[in-house]
Amino acid sequence: MDKQYDLVIVGSGPAGATVGRFAAQAGLKVLIIDKRQELGAPIQCSGAVSRHALEEVGIIPDDEFIQEPIYGFGIYNQIGDCTTIDYRQLKGDEYGPEKGKKPLGYVVDRRRFDRYLMTMAERAGAEVWLKTEGLGYTATGNGHCDVQMRRFNESLTICTRILVGADGLQSQVGKWAGLRTHIKITELASCLQYVVDQVETDGLLEIITGHEWAPGGYAWVFPKGHGYAEIGLGVIPTMTQQNAQWHLKKFMEQSFFQNRFKDARILEIQGGGVPLASPLRVQFADNLILVGDAARHVNPITGGGIHTALSGGYIAASFLIDFLQDNRDASAKNMEGYQEQWLTALGNKMWKLYGIKTEIFHNQNIVERDQQLYATMSDYFSPYSEYKKI
Amino acid sequence: MTKKTPVLFSVGWNACINCGACVAICPQEAGFISPFDTIAVDRPCDIACMLCEAICPVTTITHELVPLKMNEYASSTT
Repeated sequence: MDKQYDLVIVGSGPAGATVGRFAAQAGLKVLIIDKRQELGAPIQCSGAVSRHALEEVGIIPDDEFIQEPIYGFGIYNQIGDCTTIDYRQLKGDEYGPEKGKKPLGYVVDRRRFDRYLMTMAERAGAEVWLKTEGLGYTATGNGHCDVQMRRFNESLTICTRILVGADGLQSQVGKWAGLRTHIKITELASCLQYVVDQVETDGLLEIITGHEWAPGGYAWVFPKGHGYAEIGLGVIPTMTQQNAQWHLKKFMEQSFFQNRFKDARILEIQGGGVPLASPLRVQFADNLILVGDAARHVNPITGGGIHTALSGGYIAASFLIDFLQDNRDASAKNMEGYQEQWLTALGNKMWKLYGIKTEIFHNQNIVERDQQLYATMSDYFSPYSEYKKI
Repeated sequence: MTKKTPVLFSVGWNACINCGACVAICPQEAGFISPFDTIAVDRPCDIACMLCEAICPVTTITHELVPLKMNEYASSTT
């Protein structure tokens, strides 16, 4: 063992890279590892993020990763009635494509975006190792822990004060620590999306509700830049006998958008599991914390995870900087402070959203449930929503 | 409680989109994962909950039953 770090971060997605950047900026010795050769790939995300979410953590919107600016939302019910929330109309003096105005958010290219965030972390002083897989960790009892890893087939053990699990929804780090990471099948949406050509969009994130199209979830049509769009949906497997692929085909061929989609040409196929679940009840252990999807910091109503990963990453970094500068013992009891800070800043609202979502999907009356989901989505994205910055 | 018959999963790689949903839903302990970030396909799963098959957006995970005795033998020799 030749090196020792303050932080070893497993996973260089938005959460891990943000923890790494702020921690390195504060002078901590940081190693970020990721088993992939190309960050952000394979794409498992639609890439929508608010401008506020980026600016909040010091990310300047850049052409390197932005695919298309977003100015609002179109929320549809099952038969195509639409609630339009277009900030170009609601606050036309502030939002728009014209010079001096700004977008509400962006659809980003996750490959470019994740690489950009990793670059920011590296430039702040973090060390990043790709093709490096975490295999396990052992608390050594002297305030440190050993992290076993494999880098280009070479076995390594790295000593660190704190291990940060930022390894996504498939997190192995949480399992190493024995945390209860298992997600219920009723709360994990099976998602599929196509990047398509020849489908027009107008700067809005379009969300289509209704059991007919996406049982347990919703469908979406997002602008993707250069005239492309992404069409996708997520379904809860216990609420349908068919898979997401079947539902997406049905949505494209039979929904009120069938004419709009009739010339669609599929350019990419992407998918993933999206948790519509509560955050993990315990996100810490001896010498260890979880952030981002690994801690299930995902909006349970929308399934959005970029904003919550960035914000959660910042909260984790702030906690760890103070914690390590105070030279405190990294016992689970002391690490709990991280979760408390996260709950205060973000988590309590996410728990409230989880309660709302659960109430909707516990309703066995499909017609009522559809109405509730449509109303909730419309309220959620309204300019007056108390949750609009989650 | 009746012990479930272990299963050996098979992934149809042609349809797999590497979405990771099968690993995300898997209640197995850490490491039940293939080099391609799917659930493991090289050893039996004794939980046999089939959640991975249910969550797969393109239904490309299948399984075959592994007789209990064979599974115990495999465990004792690995």
